[in-house]
Amino acid sequence: MRYTLELIYSGVAIGAIYGLMAMAFAMTYKATGLLNFAQGELGMLIAYISWSISTALGSSTWALVGGALLSSIVLGLLIERFIMRKMIGQPVFSAVLVTVGLGVIITSVVLMIWGGEQQRVDVKYAGDIVEFAGLRMRVSQIAVIVVLLLALALTHVFFRYSRFGIAMRAVAADARTASLMGISVSRVQAVAWATSSVLAGLAGLFFAVTFELSPSIFTLGLKSFPATVFGGLDAVIGSGASGIFIGVFENLVGGYIAPLLKEIAGFLMILVILMVRPFGMFGQKDIERV
Amino acid sequence: MQSGNFKQSFSEQLNLTDSSAVRLWYAVVLAALVALPFVASPYLTGFFTTVLFTLVGVLGLNVLTGFTGLVSLGHVAFLVLGGYAYAIATVRFGLHPLLAFGLAGVVPAVAGLVVGIPSLRLKGLYLAITTLAFTFIVYSLILAGGEFTGSGRGLMVPRPIIFGIDFSSERALYWLCLAVTLATLLGVLNIRRSRLGRAFMAIRDNDQAAVAMGISLTKYKLLAFVISSFLTGISGALMVLFINFANVEGFPFLLSIEAVAILIVGGIGSVLGTVIGTIFIISLPEVSTQLLGAVSAAFGWQLNSVALEIKGILYGCAIVGFLMLDPRGLVGLWIDLKRLWTSRPMRY
Repeated sequence: MRYTLELIYSGVAIGAIYGLMAMAFAMTYKATGLLNFAQGELGMLIAYISWSISTALGSSTWALVGGALLSSIVLGLLIERFIMRKMIGQPVFSAVLVTVGLGVIITSVVLMIWGGEQQRVDVKYAGDIVEFAGLRMRVSQIAVIVVLLLALALTHVFFRYSRFGIAMRAVAADARTASLMGISVSRVQAVAWATSSVLAGLAGLFFAVTFELSPSIFTLGLKSFPATVFGGLDAVIGSGASGIFIGVFENLVGGYIAPLLKEIAGFLMILVILMVRPFGMFGQKDIERV
Repeated sequence: MQSGNFKQSFSEQLNLTDSSAVRLWYAVVLAALVALPFVASPYLTGFFTTVLFTLVGVLGLNVLTGFTGLVSLGHVAFLVLGGYAYAIATVRFGLHPLLAFGLAGVVPAVAGLVVGIPSLRLKGLYLAITTLAFTFIVYSLILAGGEFTGSGRGLMVPRPIIFGIDFSSERALYWLCLAVTLATLLGVLNIRRSRLGRAFMAIRDNDQAAVAMGISLTKYKLLAFVISSFLTGISGALMVLFINFANVEGFPFLLSIEAVAILIVGGIGSVLGTVIGTIFIISLPEVSTQLLGAVSAAFGWQLNSVALEIKGILYGCAIVGFLMLDPRGLVGLWIDLKRLWTSRPMRY
């Protein structure tokens, strides 16, 4: 029982990171209809930038968080303005491949600037152990869960009540009609890119703090695909919640069936899910006019 | 008097070319390719061998993504399966190399059928993710294979002797790859001009309309997957022969992206574009290494340590640049150039 609980707890912690990343995927998909394949790379780049900022300023936690937020917003806006906006009107496939190319560039740039070694990101109290319902968890693990819950709540409020969130939903439903109604589609997309890049940056940063800062963080993007697909590409909140589910599922499979299966448990699961519900658990079914 | 170059019968339409000059050029290029190993250095021969077996695999991807419009980001899985099928068949079971080559095509083709089944329900990005997932599953299966697949260590694969011809020299392997590539090129060109290819393209352009015209989506989508993965598997076997070694690390995920990059840079859906794109992308790192060497020698900079990263940046820039500036790819530039040549001073 204790073993199971331990698996579940650490699953929730890693799942929260997946969840943040998955929310980032869903955010861009909802507003632009694109899947950003450079999301993991973006998260890694932001983690590196904020680490550099905070070490330059004497390893302060606030500099780390501030640097991550600032750099992710700037990066998201830059990518949207100078690259993705030029792809509007092109086939979806081309635009998605642009993000793939972008990911390759980011990985190389990170390797060039920071090298391939692992770095430790030192944050005060992050490694401290807290007793929680009879189990020990690290502060950083609890923090990421709290951040995910906050992000979920904020997104819910944002989409439900704020003017801009409703505009975003309108653009997601039908970009042309929305722009005829006076909504600036490009501004909506810019905000979506900035938000998703903040979420990706947070995921990258938390991964770096909890485990280590290395160029392999970009695989976080790949590993979060199952969560996004499980939740449905256009369901931001569903994706975030599915992250936790996938994290726990992975850990249980790794702990009880075979450690080797842990890496691919999520992928195996989405293969099954996609066969049954091709648009994810919470995604909207696409109704097409022929 | 004829005022232009018109096709008057269906068979003319199906001809690969109607110009004797083009035929002559093909013959010259072919002769040059066959004679190449006698003239070129072993390094250059190796480079062309790489181009040839990559071309086989990318032509396979072109059938799926270019013709049928089904996006695969996991083609490296078929490459791995083909390579390992060949390696295991020859090393573990001691099968005849030709039979092993057959298996290197059939095993991925069966896997392609399995991956193809979800494609009947999935669209666009969801399919891309499924193929991505498949790649990681294949990696894990091979790593979990223990002694049988050599798991993390990999398998040594000796080069074969087929019908008394020893393929252990670089030269002989080059000719083997050349023969396979030519056969693949002809095959893919023929697919494109037959009922099969027209059905593929109808599905790509509008699947609902294709169904209305009596094209079975199930049959043709699965066929596209099977043909595509078969060709990619053969390419994987050739690749394993070239490096004498089958190892998961020898097939990084980046290869899938490289294949897609080749398609885009060359011109998606075009066979000529695939050839041009393959030559361009494969020579990109070589050229950049040379350039870097020249630059670091001239300025005394230490750039060799970051050569790999610069290669990655060039890759990415090539993909992004072509998609943003000219979605037709290099083949579009080629057509413009040809038009400029033939119809100057007129614009068209």
